[in-house]
Amino acid sequence: MMLKHDLLLALLSFKRNPVLTVLMVSAIAAGIGSAMVTITLYHARAGHPIWWKEDRLFAVALDNRGSDHTNENLMRHPEYPPDQLTFRDAEALYRSDIPEHSVMMYRSGRVVDPGRGGLRPFGALVRVTTADFFPMFDVPLLYGAGWDRPADTSPEPVIVIGKHLNDKLFNGANSVGRTVNLNGREFRVIGVVNDWMPRPKFYDLTSGGAFDISEDIYMPFGWATALKMESYGSINCVTPNAKIGAFEDIINTDCDMVQFWVEIPSAARLRQYRQFVDNYTTDQRQHGRFVRPTNNRVVDVPTWLEMHDVIGDDSRIEVVLALVFLAVCILNTLGLMLAKFLGAAPITGLRRALGASRKQIIRQHLIEVMVVGMTGGLVGLALAWMGLWAIRVMTYIPGPDDSPDKRALAEALSHMDHRMIVFAVGISLVTGVLAGIYPAWRIGKAAPARFLKAQ
Amino acid sequence: MEVRHLLSALWRSRTGPCLIAVQIAITLAVLVNVTYLIALRVDTYSQPTGMDIDNVFWIHSQSFTSDYDQKNAVASDLQWLNSLPGVTAAAAATSPPQSHWGFNMPFSASPDPNAPKENARIFAMTARGLDALGAKLTAGRAYSAESVGSPAADIGAAVAQWAPEVVITQALAERLFPKGNALGKTLYMGLVNKSAKIVGIIGTLQAVPIYGPFARFSNQVVVAPMMPPGPTTIYLVRTKPGRQSEVMARVEQEFADRVPGRYIARTEPLARTSSDARNGMRASSIILGAVTLLVLCVSAIGICGLAVFNVTTRTRQIGTRRAIGAQRWHILRYFLVENWLVTTGGVVVGCILALTAGVIISHTTQAPRLPLYYLVGGVLLVWTLGLLSVLVPARRAAEISPAVATRTV
Repeated sequence: MMLKHDLLLALLSFKRNPVLTVLMVSAIAAGIGSAMVTITLYHARAGHPIWWKEDRLFAVALDNRGSDHTNENLMRHPEYPPDQLTFRDAEALYRSDIPEHSVMMYRSGRVVDPGRGGLRPFGALVRVTTADFFPMFDVPLLYGAGWDRPADTSPEPVIVIGKHLNDKLFNGANSVGRTVNLNGREFRVIGVVNDWMPRPKFYDLTSGGAFDISEDIYMPFGWATALKMESYGSINCVTPNAKIGAFEDIINTDCDMVQFWVEIPSAARLRQYRQFVDNYTTDQRQHGRFVRPTNNRVVDVPTWLEMHDVIGDDSRIEVVLALVFLAVCILNTLGLMLAKFLGAAPITGLRRALGASRKQIIRQHLIEVMVVGMTGGLVGLALAWMGLWAIRVMTYIPGPDDSPDKRALAEALSHMDHRMIVFAVGISLVTGVLAGIYPAWRIGKAAPARFLKAQ
Repeated sequence: MEVRHLLSALWRSRTGPCLIAVQIAITLAVLVNVTYLIALRVDTYSQPTGMDIDNVFWIHSQSFTSDYDQKNAVASDLQWLNSLPGVTAAAAATSPPQSHWGFNMPFSASPDPNAPKENARIFAMTARGLDALGAKLTAGRAYSAESVGSPAADIGAAVAQWAPEVVITQALAERLFPKGNALGKTLYMGLVNKSAKIVGIIGTLQAVPIYGPFARFSNQVVVAPMMPPGPTTIYLVRTKPGRQSEVMARVEQEFADRVPGRYIARTEPLARTSSDARNGMRASSIILGAVTLLVLCVSAIGICGLAVFNVTTRTRQIGTRRAIGAQRWHILRYFLVENWLVTTGGVVVGCILALTAGVIISHTTQAPRLPLYYLVGGVLLVWTLGLLSVLVPARRAAEISPAVATRTV
């Protein structure tokens, strides 16, 4: 009842100063709108793609760099070891049975020949990986399953394909058991991955950046050497005696190109594994490798993402700027609100004189501010939605044969989910309180007589 | 002038002016620092690419049969492309320019393995490659057609094969040969144990986008003569001005079927590749710029709003002052000076804030320190903005008739 009365008074007050009210609402809307845009962009980059087990999964990095420090001063973190391993180090670590699961992998590519009318051959991204990839990263499978460890070593001609490729080749039907022709060789489909696009793509930040689409095809690791599959990611040859040459040279010398991950369930086994890794590099030193002091990392997902600065300075600067702007908007509204309340002080004085308590006056004014805050918040949400749309248009221009995943990725990176909407409502309430509490208190405190006198 | 009275009047109702001063301080800090950040970005992404960006497009051809004859395919494709009307030059390369595909390797000016090395991007092309990109030599000549060689087994082997002569960019030349005599010198590549003669220098060639993890390689480039080994071959086609779409249309119709055993993954104008690579940077500049503009607007609204309020509440006093002999411009001056005092208070705090923020930003982002003339410009702008926002309310105050004073008493 009281609330209804207060709301009515608030509306009357808005009618008395329409320009001032519109100014306040637009200031709050602009502040909340820009804060929501930047926070949404930041939130999308700061995702926890595998939060349920991110402290059980560990990336492994070994410092196999030569003693030459040239160009390291230009790196942001010269102290970090290279983020990929050589073939031989990956294969040596893979033999350890301390982890529950181990994965070694890299990105490559093949040409798919659909072999039927209408569809021309086309390129597909391939992740050459080991069997544990699917259980370890909880990859959701629409049909079938992954392969077993033996299928990696003497590689079996089996593949797991992505949903998009399955749609393209088999119209989305269960394709387990069907074959796909890759560069003239037949591979049997044993599984189809459902929509799966971790953001950031924590398990491989090097091949296409931290935000990239998943590969179309997953293939047993043994095919890497059997078919000499070149890396579509980065190859980093880190010692002077690395030999650039044919595929065999690259995989037999100090050229880093393999991502390596392990799943370790307990702290004790993690300690054991770290010791094992350090022992391995110390041991290799006898062969003239690992010339630098031991500097290996076995780090969990959040640490790995932080080491690679996945969020980036741009996102951070944008959020800070938008929050500062929101602060300016709050100050601004505070000032205008104060002016407005004091301007209407004679009326308030009259109400006080007629028996309204100080508490009632404060509450009535607070409600008025909250209405301004919430309206500003709603308009701000609409502005944020338009801003994000504009950003999507600006940053993603669809190409003629882009995979639908690319569009999905661009949308996901500027998507305002329900949590963000709840958050926006929260901010607008806080904004209202911050901007309104002082003016309301100030006007409530004033002695009624002072205002009445002026009449 | 009555500054003392003015100050005491300000002090009596200090909350409003203080809020405005704080807003102005923050506005100044934001304005100065963000403008500088945007300027740094714009400066970076508007650097010339060193290529004839509007008239080059590229074709990504991918072979997939084991009996694909790379050497003859490239030769025949290039002959066809070069014969098309409207084409200035065409060449084959291992990667498109302005992309992240490709190799970075350490080079040095001496065969000594301990000599200082400089990492550079390798951009490998067939004969007429510089022509096909529209890259301009500042000294020396282009590499010869004979130095190109025949296709190796794979890209690694192709790099190991290494050509006898190369062209490098000015930036790399300056780092490896600080005395400025790179032309004719030998460039050593320890990793493959080869060397090559530097036969030409080009001003700049952004093989890698200027933004992203390899930005520093965008101007440190070694242009190496190389026959792309396949399966990936990038054809670079430079057309006469205004004829790109016509040539691209023809290529899209006829090129794929010229040689069996390959497919065309993409045909794209270089302008688009380059613009895509700058998208993130541009979007970020626009976001920062838009928010800064909003900050300015909101501050102006705040100043204006407070002034309107002051004028309304002081109507009677203004009338009285006018009645006892104050001229219109006295009233105008009063409001302008009052506002100027508040703004200046904000500006003083804002300068400290701006400099502090500048130090923090340059420390965390490794950007160069904020130059002081940005601060000077910011102060002038904020002063102007303050005066302009108070002008309308102040003029309204000056219009108040002296009669108002008598009416309400």
